[in-house]
Amino acid sequence: MLIILAVVALGFLFPLYAGPYPLHVMTTVLTYMALGLSWDMMLRTGQLSFGTAGFFGLGSYAALLTTLYLGLNPLASIFVGGVFAAIVAFALGYAILRLREIYFAITTLALAGVFTVVARNLHDFTGGPEGKILPSAIFNGDPTKVYWLTFSVALGSILVSELFQRTRIRFAITAIRNDEITAKSSGIDIFKYLLFVFVITSAIQGVVGGAYAQQYGFVSPESAFSTNFLLLPIAMCLAGGIYSTLGPVIGSVILGVLSEYLKLRFPYGHLIIYGVIIVAIVLFMPHGILGMLKKIAQKTRTEVGGNENEK
Amino acid sequence: MAETKTHGRHQFTLPLLAIVALILIFIFKPYAVIYGVQRGSLYALIAMPLALTLGIVGILNLAHGDFLTLGAYIAYWIFNSTGLDPLLSIFAVAPLLFVVGAGLYKITVSKVLRAPLLNQLLLTFGIAMILEEVINLIWTSRPRNVYVNYASASASIGGFRFGTYEFSYLLAAVGVLVLLRLFLKHTRLGKAAFAVGQNPKGAKIVGINVEMIYLLIFSISVGIVGIAAGLTLPRMSIFPLFGSPFTLKSFCLAAMAGLGNLTGILWSGLALGIGEALVQSIEGYSGWSDIVFFGVLIAVITIRSYRGSYV
Repeated sequence: MLIILAVVALGFLFPLYAGPYPLHVMTTVLTYMALGLSWDMMLRTGQLSFGTAGFFGLGSYAALLTTLYLGLNPLASIFVGGVFAAIVAFALGYAILRLREIYFAITTLALAGVFTVVARNLHDFTGGPEGKILPSAIFNGDPTKVYWLTFSVALGSILVSELFQRTRIRFAITAIRNDEITAKSSGIDIFKYLLFVFVITSAIQGVVGGAYAQQYGFVSPESAFSTNFLLLPIAMCLAGGIYSTLGPVIGSVILGVLSEYLKLRFPYGHLIIYGVIIVAIVLFMPHGILGMLKKIAQKTRTEVGGNENEK
Repeated sequence: MAETKTHGRHQFTLPLLAIVALILIFIFKPYAVIYGVQRGSLYALIAMPLALTLGIVGILNLAHGDFLTLGAYIAYWIFNSTGLDPLLSIFAVAPLLFVVGAGLYKITVSKVLRAPLLNQLLLTFGIAMILEEVINLIWTSRPRNVYVNYASASASIGGFRFGTYEFSYLLAAVGVLVLLRLFLKHTRLGKAAFAVGQNPKGAKIVGINVEMIYLLIFSISVGIVGIAAGLTLPRMSIFPLFGSPFTLKSFCLAAMAGLGNLTGILWSGLALGIGEALVQSIEGYSGWSDIVFFGVLIAVITIRSYRGSYV
């Protein structure tokens, strides 16, 4: 508990002791961390969603356009981004949450495609392919405040994720993931839980998108619905270890910093190394860093001889 | 790989409706039908191998479209260094891609056959990323063209002028379809592959070398993409992300036709190609044509789920 508090304090005070470049890197890492957590939360129900970038983009557009057209306060508009993504997820969830496995995954991917096409073609409203620009970014672009904003969004996602892990919801979700028929016969309303999780995670993605759009004061179909916001979080979760809060957090910090380093070292082709990392993780470390640590911990524990050594 | 047959009256009403619709479209928008058929058969040609892998190996290859890019660049490279016609270079590109597919299968895909869906998707996704970036590194993102005079051949019927080269896609699609069907229905190896697709465990029990079939089918699929690559090169400019949209489109056709229905893929391809061309021909709304595929994909999957096919 103390360690957690210390880490949070360290994260909160990060702008005080870090330069502008590390601060920017950390802001990006936190953005991906929140996205990764939201994606992992959906995965815990057994549903693989590829709609992360789609709801991220919806939130971006909703936040930016409400500020642009209605003059809404940027902070409030981020909230609007989340609500908008949640409403869309709620409406779509009724139709698509009956799908399973590959069909759910591909349908969410296709939905993100539909959002992109709509955003690109409503020229008068969304600015078409060029997108829309705000006269000024949030907090006039002050990197410290932007960092704190992203930090609180990420912290919020961590809290929601932990809430999911520590309350009764967890049992329902895990039961659905493991065996839907058994879950159903134990009286779990599968559809209700799926819809709930889908709406909550989409809302998080919307909020992250809103914060991101306000951070740059700019939104365009290519930037808001970029596959980066779909793939990087997934890779980070997988690297850290799925089905937990800690996994995506560890994964996003490690991969986020690593990718930044690779970008500096190899300005061209750093994505190749990133791709190799993804393939290597899938092939050799399917349970992520966390899973590997657990395995090592288990091994040493048995070697020591049943010594209880949690964390 | 079971052929789905519609029963009773539906057997006649659906084709009849399709023919009536086609005649109506042809009267009002003749170009849409011509371009639609050309483009649709290309979609089908590329979708068939994806469906083959999905149906028999059970892997959705997210790098499918990027093999098209790879094949096209290899054909381009052959053309530039030896002056060999792109159509003739198919005989080099397809076997080469066959080998690439076999190697990739051996090194990576065979390791995740029993892994969770997420790992399979992420693996092929990582491969896609590596392919795209390697191509980007070698050939840069500058679009490349190959000029051969026969590619700009055109014909006219009753005052409409249109390119005739693209009808080679239709020929190739029909050819590949016929050959694949002959292979699956009438050769020993094909029948074995068919059996593996239906029931891998049972196939193993009766003595079929399932691993070998998987390897073969995966490599054949990648090889067929090489045919499409050589065919498209004379008519389209290629760039590192040239093939990736075809992945989702191919899956869309496979989902629309139903798993294992290769003939259905050709029909679906033609229908969606015409649909796309039709939307493109409406003035001021041409940008919306991308939504045809996404929309149909979502609609088909959702409707099927209500009928209980996927749940």
